[in-house]
Amino acid sequence: MNFAPDTSLDIASAVNRATVPAGATKLKVEKLNFYYGENHALKNINFDIPEKRVTAMIGPSGCGKSTLLRVFNRMFQLYPGQRAEGKILFDGTDLLGKELDSTVVRSRIGMVFQKPTPFPMSIYDNIAFGVKLHESLSKAQMDERVEWCLRKAAIWEETKDRLHTSALGMSGGQQQRLCIARTIAVRPEVILLDEPTSALDPISTSKIEDLIDELKQEFTIVIVTHNMQQAARCADITAFFYLGELIEVGVSADIFTNPREPRTRDYITGRFG
Amino acid sequence: MTEHIVSSFDADLKDLGRKVVEMGGQAERLVADSVEALIKRDVDMAQRVIVLDGPVDLLQREIEEKAILTIARRQPLANDLREIVAAMRVANDLERIGDLAKNTGKRVLALTGEFHPQKLVRGVEHMSNLVLEQLKEVLDAYASRDDESAIAVWKRDGDVDVLYTSLFRELLTYMMEDPRNISLCTHLLFCAKNIERIGDHATNIAETIHYLVSGQVLSEERPKQDTSSLTSVAFPA
Repeated sequence: MNFAPDTSLDIASAVNRATVPAGATKLKVEKLNFYYGENHALKNINFDIPEKRVTAMIGPSGCGKSTLLRVFNRMFQLYPGQRAEGKILFDGTDLLGKELDSTVVRSRIGMVFQKPTPFPMSIYDNIAFGVKLHESLSKAQMDERVEWCLRKAAIWEETKDRLHTSALGMSGGQQQRLCIARTIAVRPEVILLDEPTSALDPISTSKIEDLIDELKQEFTIVIVTHNMQQAARCADITAFFYLGELIEVGVSADIFTNPREPRTRDYITGRFG
Repeated sequence: MTEHIVSSFDADLKDLGRKVVEMGGQAERLVADSVEALIKRDVDMAQRVIVLDGPVDLLQREIEEKAILTIARRQPLANDLREIVAAMRVANDLERIGDLAKNTGKRVLALTGEFHPQKLVRGVEHMSNLVLEQLKEVLDAYASRDDESAIAVWKRDGDVDVLYTSLFRELLTYMMEDPRNISLCTHLLFCAKNIERIGDHATNIAETIHYLVSGQVLSEERPKQDTSSLTSVAFPA
């Protein structure tokens, strides 16, 4: 028997680190630069967003994460003076090119905002409104679609008996889930969530987080959040932005326990604002 | 490292680290005293060791409570999280070290009046010197967050194991030579085992320091050379 001491120590082999979950790339950002007039808001961003995974974008205010979200569904094109350079390949087609129509892009890449934005109409019509722009469905088909997306958004039980009452009478958390249902209704492939729970109470927040977990079975989700714990809980991948640059991207478990970059560490541990 | 925006968070972490260092000092003292009590057959000192294990246990509970409260309050991440996890782990190891020293103290009381040849005790003393050095170095490594010296401690535990195994054989031989040695040797063997276990806890602390500093876990098998469980000594014909 050999009891000679093994003194070799290879830190690199220490622990089989979790690797990036497998999955095809849904959105591939290549050399993206973005300008608000003279202001260079995103600087040479290269970044893959995997399909059917939750990707969180974190960073202090003004770091460019919401800008990137707005580039993904071409919202910036509504404003003069804003321009993007580079490529965002959406299943291989450049989102920023001429091949795709903005309306089509926004139906395939839906967005939910920080504050719930229900239309001043009934719950049912809130959902049917967007669907009608893209598809002509019979009454029965539309009923089915409304139920389907309300169920997906985990709000069917609360709304099934008041579908034709105003959406404005719902609580904030319910309104936000309605907005998610409305986004899902047009069957997008990607859902962009811009701080979806920052205006909600903890119970509503938990419901939305639970919903995100549910939705990633079918959709690719990109979430911008200022809540580190939320990113740590919900996201498979986390990307940290600072002053328009992508500082670090990796598996959330690594980012939140052992980030490589000092700037990431300082931000997530609350050492600078 | 820059300070937290919430300065009370820094204060919490510093306080936690300070308590662990304090506990380390106390535990180290208990180990040294317990061995000295054994060598000198100092009953008073042994009794003091037994009593002074209490404050060490208390500190461990304090550290644990403080750590839990800090997690609940601050939801720490990255190095802050590792800092708190490390404090809890190190406190657990130190608490066990205190218990082992206390156990040695109790055995000193049991040995009162026994025949007590110094040469038998020498081996234990030699081994405990080595372990005390390990413990001191690992506690220094914790205080200075020094990964390199933590790993050095981790690698050296094999030496303690080698000593323990040879001591095991030696004591076994004495027992065979003269049955009157059995009671003393059995107690000494347990004391030696206590000290060897303290060495193991020192390497646990070293592993924790490595995790704290680097964020990586030492996955490799520690060099173990305690073969006492495989050792038998043939009865002389």
